[in-house]
Amino acid sequence: MKKLFLFLALGVCGAASAQLPTALSAAPATTAVAGTNVPAKPRAPTVITSDAADFDMNIRQGIYRGHVVVQDPDVKLTCAWLVIDLPDSGSHLNHVLADTNVVVDFTDEKGQTYHVTAARAVYDYKVVNTETNETVTFSGSPKVVTKESTIESEPMIWDRARNKFSFIGPIMKSSAGLGGEGDTNAPMLNFLK
Amino acid sequence: MKIGAATFCWLAGAMLLLLAPPAVRAQQPAQKLPTGHGRDFTTESYFEAPHEQQVKLRLSGAEVTSLPGSLQDIRLMRIETFREDGTLEMTVRAPQCTFAPFDGVANSAGRLELETGDGKFHVEGEGFLWRQNDQFLTISNRVRTVIEMPAVKMNAT
Repeated sequence: MKKLFLFLALGVCGAASAQLPTALSAAPATTAVAGTNVPAKPRAPTVITSDAADFDMNIRQGIYRGHVVVQDPDVKLTCAWLVIDLPDSGSHLNHVLADTNVVVDFTDEKGQTYHVTAARAVYDYKVVNTETNETVTFSGSPKVVTKESTIESEPMIWDRARNKFSFIGPIMKSSAGLGGEGDTNAPMLNFLK
Repeated sequence: MKIGAATFCWLAGAMLLLLAPPAVRAQQPAQKLPTGHGRDFTTESYFEAPHEQQVKLRLSGAEVTSLPGSLQDIRLMRIETFREDGTLEMTVRAPQCTFAPFDGVANSAGRLELETGDGKFHVEGEGFLWRQNDQFLTISNRVRTVIEMPAVKMNAT
């Protein structure tokens, strides 16, 4: 049991501490100073395509329906239904809801690929006292698949500003045969950093 | 702007209906728009006081033709909306649209482009329905949105 937990902790920590892509936060982490913001650089636009869309100008909301694809500079998201709060002029998107058959694919700076699936994903962005909070919360049987492992967690939180995943009660499967054969279910391995 | 007097009155009436608040529009008695054909028209509406000098919305088109049922066929339509400080808020372009001024509804099977004044939010698609009463736009096919967002700073750990 102890060995199993150690494997789980190492495996999950490995995934959690990986340098995830910085699609909406472009600067490389290697230039960062702990606890500070690193300079930003210009980024390519985000493109959303879908079969149809509704725009409610009263509440400034856009609803995309059918074969929705969001292509970010570093991340690709597909889903059946996407709601965005329309940003003010020159502002950042601050709230996005992706629903039904959500799939997110990205590759980190080290070439590690991540394939995330879930029923729902909620993106939130806000800046508080110069601190950028940018998270994607996956729910509805979320699962992240990397080359080495598959991790399930309900919910699963991707902190994009800090390039980390957080898991609660993760179930991990190893793809590399590192001694973690079979499934495991840690009691509350929460918010790994 | 090249526009005949009759066409101008016709358009002005139609646009007043379009731009009027829903409650006002609902009070309009059954009426008919003059029929006719106009070219290269522009019409503007203004904010209420104290910004009555500022244009709120400018509608222009290359051609407008009346259709049965108090409908209008507008070619090369362009709508620009402005903020109270005069800055451009949004531009909407459509090669063709059918406009129902009494209902405040515009639709087309053709292309629509919408862009914010700063150009950082652009939407295009094919086939649309605009309901003025509830400020609701539906694009039916092949929707593509391009959003240019400011770069953000990443919190390092």
